[in-house]
Amino acid sequence: MQTIAATRPAESSVRQTNTVPLRVSNVSKTYLKGTFKSLDNVSFDLHANEITAFVGPSGCGKTTMLRIIAGLEYPSNGGVEAFGKPVRGPGPDRGMIFQAYTSFPWLSAVQNVEYGMRVLGVPKAERQERARDFLKLVHLERFADAYPKSMSGGMKQRVALARTLSQNPNILLMDEPFGALDAQVRWEMQELMIELIEREQKTVVAITHDIEEAIYLADRIIFFTRQPGQIKADISLDFKMGKRYRQKEDLIALPGYGELERRLFAMMREEIKRAD
Amino acid sequence: MMRNIDPHALQGQGAAVSRNPEIQGAPFVLPKERFLELRLQPTASKSVVLGVLGCLLFLGLWEIAHYATPESSRKFMPPVSDVVTALYTLFAERNFLHDVMISCYRVFASFAMASLVAVPLGIVMGCFGNLKALLNPILSGWRYLPAASFIPLLLVWFGPTDSAKIALLFIGVMFFLLTLVLDNTLAVPKEFVEASLTMGASRQEVVRNVVVPAAMPAIFDSMRNMIAVGWTYLVIAEIVGAQDGIGAVMMRAGRFLNVDVIMAAILTIGILGVATDLLFRAAQRFLFPWSIERR
Ligand SMILES: Nc1ncnc2c1ncn2[C@@H]1O[C@H](COP(=O)(O)OP(=O)(O)OP(=O)(O)O)[C@@H](O)[C@H]1O
Ligand SMILES: [Mg+2]
Repeated sequence: MQTIAATRPAESSVRQTNTVPLRVSNVSKTYLKGTFKSLDNVSFDLHANEITAFVGPSGCGKTTMLRIIAGLEYPSNGGVEAFGKPVRGPGPDRGMIFQAYTSFPWLSAVQNVEYGMRVLGVPKAERQERARDFLKLVHLERFADAYPKSMSGGMKQRVALARTLSQNPNILLMDEPFGALDAQVRWEMQELMIELIEREQKTVVAITHDIEEAIYLADRIIFFTRQPGQIKADISLDFKMGKRYRQKEDLIALPGYGELERRLFAMMREEIKRAD
Repeated sequence: MMRNIDPHALQGQGAAVSRNPEIQGAPFVLPKERFLELRLQPTASKSVVLGVLGCLLFLGLWEIAHYATPESSRKFMPPVSDVVTALYTLFAERNFLHDVMISCYRVFASFAMASLVAVPLGIVMGCFGNLKALLNPILSGWRYLPAASFIPLLLVWFGPTDSAKIALLFIGVMFFLLTLVLDNTLAVPKEFVEASLTMGASRQEVVRNVVVPAAMPAIFDSMRNMIAVGWTYLVIAEIVGAQDGIGAVMMRAGRFLNVDVIMAAILTIGILGVATDLLFRAAQRFLFPWSIERR
């Protein structure tokens, strides 16, 4: 598959030598001087080119886990390794899409996309050309010179996505990226995600509240328990038989879909009921 | 199942058929507009008309105040026409333009210096918590010291010079502006900073190319508000030992009870203040067209 992203030589050589894109080992996180436990001894490996969804009740520590992976927060115990290197802070090898719109309002769409590449030191002519390619990838080529002010939420989110993808991160982290969007736009964005990931071959972690979204996007679902967050279940979505389906209706028609959805809903109910 | 609804079928149902012509498709008659309509945004031309009307109302009240004043003390409450004449005489015969220019210079020079200190300092204090903790307690205390109380000190240090006046204006503006810029910087969404960091930006890159552009429209607003304060301090600065400037003209006029001249000078400051404000607003629209319109 053809990737159009800028390749950073150092990273691509690492990619071949170490196949575990991300390892989370015994991560715990406490707040309020250790009195509040947000994550409790969480360990897992991400598999290359797989989409992993974090699912769990509200407040179970999904965002905390993702931010620790991104390097925006530090664990209290344990650690995270990206391609064998300990994570000590944020970096462009782990791109992040936030729930809040982060496309910069003072830059046009194309300048926003260029920003990511400029930070990496891509020469001007090259990044200008590539920025247009990436806008095309998220179907925004007609809005290259528009400012976020005049864009809908979905468009702003696509600008942010193009900006992050243009950096060619090894891992794409997304915290409820479509949470603020209405149902139809959300649906379009989900399809776009499948399309993009098929094309760019990325290791992805996406947080979602939405069980249907998780089943649609993910190859694997890590289900967290209610606070303090532990891994309740690590589910491989084998019923997809290694394929990704762009059209939701095709996915729903597969044997095993209903069974999985039922199971996830039951798990969610169980966790919510665990309230004291 | 979807049904096609025949609009005529509906008319036959329920109560009597409406006689309202609109229901038959005639142009909709808008409800009568009320003067106190909630959240109504008048058109540009109507805003101008209303604004002029407001000014005329004020001038009318002023005239009434003149005639309502007892004959004996009426010269202390001159009519509008006297003030306008005084203003004309000031410019035509007493080289008032020179005083206006001097005052403008004092306001703008002190404001430029205050901004040069307050804006960068406020931004770095907003970016780096340790700097804020180090400097904010001592700097924010200054805001509570009345600028006028520095006059004797400044006169001792600088004498009755331009520097003394500019220093006073500087003190009056800088510490407030600093606090505002600090708040504007702290108000930058943390997601912008974090997004930039996850893209691999250095601290310098984040400050220069994310925090500064993100905070700039709000900082500009703060500057616009603080230059107004600069104009209000002007007179305080100029009534003490000044030979020239609008404030000095006013003080001299006061000694001779020339109320019309005092009023003309006040009017001049008001006009200059409004002009500065408009200038800032225009610059803002030009510099930050991307920033969301505030109401
Ligand atoms: N800086 C902080 N200080 C104190 N407590 C915090 C902090 N950040 C998060 N928490 C707490 O840690 C817990 C986990 O938060 P987190 O945001 O990771 O949950 P989440 O699973 O992402 O929830 P949601 O689905 O609602 O987004 C919550 O109970 C939250 O209140
Ligand atoms: Mg969250």
